[in-house]
Amino acid sequence: MADATISAVFDVYRFDPSKDREPRYQRFALDLAPHTPVLSALLQIRAEQDPTLTLRYSCRSAICGSCAMQVNSKSRLACETQIGPEMERHGRIVIEPMRNQAVLRDLVVDQQPFWQRYDSIEPHLILDPSHPMPEDRATSMTPAQVERFKETPRCIACAACYSACPAVSADPAFPGPMALAKLYRFVVDPRDSATQERLVRIQPNGLWLCLRCHLCTEACPKDVRPSERIRDLKELAIQVQGGTEAGSKHAIGFKENIRERGLLSEMKLVRQTSGVVGLAAQAGQGLRIWRKKPEIARRPHRIEGLDEVEKIYEALDRPPQEGS
Amino acid sequence: MQKHEVVVIGAGLAGQRAALAAIDAGKDVAIVSKLHPLRSHSGAAQGGINAAVGKEDSVETHIYDTVKGSDYLGDQDAIEFFCQRAGPVVVEMEHFGTIFSRSDDGSLARRAFGGAGFPRTIYAADRTGLALLQALWERIGTEDFTLYEEWDVTNLVVREGRMQGLVAFDRRHGNFEEIQAPAVVMATGPFGRVYGRTTNAHSCTGDGTAAAYEAGAQLKDLEFVQFHPTALLESGILITEGARGEGGILKNANGERFMAKYAPHVLELASRDVVSRAIVTEVAEGRGFSGPYGGYVHLELMHLGREKVESRLQEIVDYSRHFAGIDPITQPIPVYPAQHYMMGGIGTTIQGATSLPGLFAAGEAACVSIHGANRLGGNSLLETLVFGREAGAAAAAYVDKAPASTMHATDLDAAVAPFRAWSSRTDGEDPSALRTEMQATMERYVGIYRNEADLFEGLRRIRALKDRFQKVRVVDRSSIYNLNVSDALETGHMLELAEVIVVGAYARTESRGAHARTDFPKRDDAHWMKHTIATRSPTGPELSYAPVAYTRWEPKERVY
Repeated sequence: MADATISAVFDVYRFDPSKDREPRYQRFALDLAPHTPVLSALLQIRAEQDPTLTLRYSCRSAICGSCAMQVNSKSRLACETQIGPEMERHGRIVIEPMRNQAVLRDLVVDQQPFWQRYDSIEPHLILDPSHPMPEDRATSMTPAQVERFKETPRCIACAACYSACPAVSADPAFPGPMALAKLYRFVVDPRDSATQERLVRIQPNGLWLCLRCHLCTEACPKDVRPSERIRDLKELAIQVQGGTEAGSKHAIGFKENIRERGLLSEMKLVRQTSGVVGLAAQAGQGLRIWRKKPEIARRPHRIEGLDEVEKIYEALDRPPQEGS
Repeated sequence: MQKHEVVVIGAGLAGQRAALAAIDAGKDVAIVSKLHPLRSHSGAAQGGINAAVGKEDSVETHIYDTVKGSDYLGDQDAIEFFCQRAGPVVVEMEHFGTIFSRSDDGSLARRAFGGAGFPRTIYAADRTGLALLQALWERIGTEDFTLYEEWDVTNLVVREGRMQGLVAFDRRHGNFEEIQAPAVVMATGPFGRVYGRTTNAHSCTGDGTAAAYEAGAQLKDLEFVQFHPTALLESGILITEGARGEGGILKNANGERFMAKYAPHVLELASRDVVSRAIVTEVAEGRGFSGPYGGYVHLELMHLGREKVESRLQEIVDYSRHFAGIDPITQPIPVYPAQHYMMGGIGTTIQGATSLPGLFAAGEAACVSIHGANRLGGNSLLETLVFGREAGAAAAAYVDKAPASTMHATDLDAAVAPFRAWSSRTDGEDPSALRTEMQATMERYVGIYRNEADLFEGLRRIRALKDRFQKVRVVDRSSIYNLNVSDALETGHMLELAEVIVVGAYARTESRGAHARTDFPKRDDAHWMKHTIATRSPTGPELSYAPVAYTRWEPKERVY
């Protein structure tokens, strides 16, 4: 009755630690319309082929954040990923649990660590008792102030960003993209009284661990763009603390380096970031790199056309245009 | 066994607000929820929350609109209380951190909604439920309470005529757990999944409502089922009333703005029951569009302009693109009504008390009743917060005077026995198949337009499914995240509630609000200005009736 169907093939990750020694992939074949959401297909498999297939799901409209999983190796919401393009691009649809979270069964992962990292940024308004909220009325906030939240209120905590993030697995102190986007939401909230403290506290605790790979932004189904919110936080952090943290010194050093010569001086950058002691501490690492790339120890020359670089910096230093 | 003073079941807005009130009263509080609280269906509410805070508006008008919208079945004392609380509740939520949309002067922005005399719906773009849910979870996160996450409530334990506690199924570990508590607040939301075509989440299966009914609590007005006029054609995903509030219009296949015929004064902003029936009539009489997913009409936003649509209806743009392949900025959205809201529920007082001492209820799981025969858009979010708080506070106060609760060793065994039977069968009924048949039955026989013959047939079929459920089988034997157990549990719960809906609809020989009988097309105040009360018996629901509370508003014919 509906549109023409296609033959879709699903290779679904299955693992029940109570009886399986190791994970396996189970193949399911279904004829479905190309616009069928992956979630609908998985629920059809549950209903018609195997009721033991285990996954989290609820709203099926990309607002509850339950059904994030890997679809052909990308962290996606199953409910808003259509099968047609996946079949076209990959010839099959590989369904796996999210990364960076322990598998409890099939596609269900343990989200407690994700929530714990979320809790670590103190995700609630911190109020100053000496400046109470206006009694009996809402705080006044202009549309421009609401704009400052950017897309962070759209976050549905699906953890797709957390699954895609390489820094999450590297360091348990890193709150992760979602938590940092949430932190940004509180930092720009005019009702919050702890903006400065939040920015100071987050610096040794993970802000600068972000690798700027933007995989979180690519994974986010709600356009929260966590990596850009992390960048916003870094800018605010430098403003607040004047670049005294290692992470911010690294960012500032990077900027000065390039402005000076148009090239990066790794030696100088490490010294700027970690000081002479830090440079000594990283000497072993430096030597190893030096053996492969002896040019890093050389004082970098200035590139040609440095005046063009200077123009870029001048453009960046200019205050933003109204409304941009 | 766990012990608490107040256990709240359900962690949406009503449940969280109830928990916060009980915590504020100094009680040891636990929340039991089958979803992480931030995944609750409250987060799917789009359009907004009503509060008559505008200078031209008044609480009095909000009360009148709600009474009229309810088709005079709402309890007027409860509605007065409800509307008076609206302003403070919205301010409180703003202070908790909700990021509402704003007007240029810095005040809370408001939009027009159906059945309302003034633009009084305060909103956060088109994700107001999510904004409120985030803020409340952030607020309650600073308090001390226990969260039993991904636990299904299986049944309540009642002895000596009052609550003693409950049994729940811990999905992650596959255990049945007892929680002893003198006071329980039921806030498990709706059960829209008794219908096939619904805006409700898959999790909306009325577990708490059914558990309360099975424990002896009275259900009220379950035959009043709201169908939202504008749901996406194939998926049933909600397109907020805010889309019409922002100026969206409905057109049939002849290009006519057909609402002019049905509601000449307010057109698309008539009450939901009126607009839904209009769409069904247009399609039934051949003026709709038709396609592989059935008949439909167009919701047009194109004339509003890209900027307005993208800023105020951001989620709608995404939904249309992802789930219907439509760009609403340049194309009309194909829509048709879908089940959306249950006006009925566990009968409660204004303070959330049910007919069962120690059991309280709030939110969509409850029926106070403020929505009567038809709910107005923007009143449900408000309801969760106003009555969630009342129920939580009342539960805490009840604990102070209630005798100590006790659980017996046999309570757990009694609760677990049916599951043992389900899991030990080598042959039996598939819960998913039963669910699908129930949904098709309700859709076909107990939909927007109803009549005696259909309802009779619908009841026969639902009862046959209930019989078959006695032989339900759980195939999955795993102890970890056995969702097959939840499938069976939910299906059993929903069959109980479906039966109550049909029995109530069959008995009510009039048309009122969302209950439209083609064989009794008029409202019959002489016989039917009363609430339906359903009590469980071994042979099915026993109906009785309770008067509607009146204060100042005489019933009039409802014209929009």
